Amino acid sequence: MNNKKKILLVDDDLDLLEQNKLLIESKGYEVITANSGREGFETFKKTKPDACVIDLIMEEHDSGFILCYRIKNDEHGKNIPVFILTSATYDTGFKFGASTSEEREWIKADALIHKPVIIEEFVQKLEAFYEMKK
Amino acid sequence: MSTSKPKVLIVDDEKGLRIGAQRLLEMEGYEVTTAENGTEGIKFGTETEFDLAVIDLKMPDIDGLEVLQTIRKKYPNTVCFIATAYASYETAVEATRLGAHSYIPKPFSPEELISNLKEGYQKRLVNLEAEKWQREREERLLEVAFEKTRLNTIINSITDGVLVINKEGLAVLYNPAALRFLELSSIAVEEYILDKLRPELLELFNKLVSEVSIEHKSYTIQIELKPNREFFVEVTASVVRHSTDNVAGVVIVFKDITELKKIEFVKSQFVSMVSHELKAPIAAVYGFLKLFNDDSIQLSPEQRKDYEIRSMIRLDGLLKMVNDLLDISRMELKTVHREIKKVCLHEIISSILELFQIDISKKGLQVVFEKDNTAHCINADSDEISRLFTNLISNAIKYNREQGIITINLYQSDNYIVTEIKDSGIGLKPEDRQKLFSEFFRAKNEKTKNISGTGLGLSIVKRIVDSYSGRIEVDSEFGEGSTFKIFLPLII
Repeated sequence: MNNKKKILLVDDDLDLLEQNKLLIESKGYEVITANSGREGFETFKKTKPDACVIDLIMEEHDSGFILCYRIKNDEHGKNIPVFILTSATYDTGFKFGASTSEEREWIKADALIHKPVIIEEFVQKLEAFYEMKK
Repeated sequence: MSTSKPKVLIVDDEKGLRIGAQRLLEMEGYEVTTAENGTEGIKFGTETEFDLAVIDLKMPDIDGLEVLQTIRKKYPNTVCFIATAYASYETAVEATRLGAHSYIPKPFSPEELISNLKEGYQKRLVNLEAEKWQREREERLLEVAFEKTRLNTIINSITDGVLVINKEGLAVLYNPAALRFLELSSIAVEEYILDKLRPELLELFNKLVSEVSIEHKSYTIQIELKPNREFFVEVTASVVRHSTDNVAGVVIVFKDITELKKIEFVKSQFVSMVSHELKAPIAAVYGFLKLFNDDSIQLSPEQRKDYEIRSMIRLDGLLKMVNDLLDISRMELKTVHREIKKVCLHEIISSILELFQIDISKKGLQVVFEKDNTAHCINADSDEISRLFTNLISNAIKYNREQGIITINLYQSDNYIVTEIKDSGIGLKPEDRQKLFSEFFRAKNEKTKNISGTGLGLSIVKRIVDSYSGRIEVDSEFGEGSTFKIFLPLII
């Protein structure tokens, strides 16, 4: 029986999607990909992943936020970690984070992962979430 | 007047007195005129201005008081003495009431006359001096009043708001423009205004008034009066000092900087978009290089080759984007060197189609190029026109389906040469159509995800068309294809 954790990775940049898929797979996870907000939600419903990593700027500037919101409104989504993948905080000078519960509540995500992904940091955040759930 | 001899008029019907007084006074340095009766006294006294007059009270023709009155009416500064042997309290009062300076009882001694006239002359000099000062003061007041009106006119016509507040917080001066910035309908002069100011302004006021330094300081702040950059104001407050260096109050100048702020915002948004768009390909190539160097990840030779090619494609896209951005920046700065000459659109389009021949064949596209029998030439810069149609034809190829059609129609309509470029490709969703010409906009959907582009091509197309006072129209149906119509004026 396959007991690998399933991660849904959503990004509209196909190159980054593939790179991150390889990186996450190298850490022993199974990775499913989607390259738009809409496709991301459909895949989420179909595959019920153990975690989601969502790029912020896709079809629209806030596609990632919207997808997070929809996932966190779903019964299954409530119980899994949803991470936003972005470099927008640097690009726009607009500061936001997910370090406080208010921020997490507001952006509907459990953590922010900055681009380029530092895979060890990502795994640590993911495992910390599962530990907490236990 | 003070350097010449004091002029005295003696009016007396007594000949001896007249002659005696004249001799005496002339010896004392006076210039003396005598009149032997009231009529003559009035005549001389009103023809010339005398410094002094000694008038006999009782004369056979005209009463001395009447002579006094008439002379004083014409020359109020002539110091008049009434001389009389019939001194009484009543006549003294009456004479004083009518403007006599003093009253000399007869018979008087020479010393008495001289000391009286001397004192009278001093009095006249003082009076004249006072009058001169008074006149000067009045003139200055008039000038000040005039200056004030002129200053008010100037201040009232300034579009920037001006408000002067004294140390006690009372409004001293303001112009109508200030009301708009203070969001007040009126201000009364000398009204306590501090409680009507926004906290930021009050803080500035207090800071300036409480400062002990005598430097002529001013502070500038920016306030967003209405949210979303609808009304932005720059406020400069400076201290107003008395000549003694004490603080008299504060002058606040309000400047509407809404437009400036809007431009600043658009610019910063553009910069953030540009950096984001430039970062994406760099991040992708960086990611591939990291994979190559990650020992924990095993890549097959095919994968490696694939990633190398993809890195090159991303870098190539990055270069194109930088070039497009430079073009846009040159167009914005209007530093493009244009070589205006006769350019024939059918020739340009034909050569572009030849250039794209390989791409057209690869996709199996059919190209139909139709033109009417009129001339299709305009005066323009050939490079710009080539760039315009290269971008449009390249889009018609990229966003077309395999085995699709591209139809190009060239014709004259009114004063325009119209070029219609129609493809049978992906087409646009209605919501995407409006954003089509914005920088970095790329319609993102299932069908476009594998098509490369900078998102700047149509923005450049629009700028070129605009620079020739032309226009561009788009007709599109999602899944069916798009038609771009370019109208270029025959005469520019």
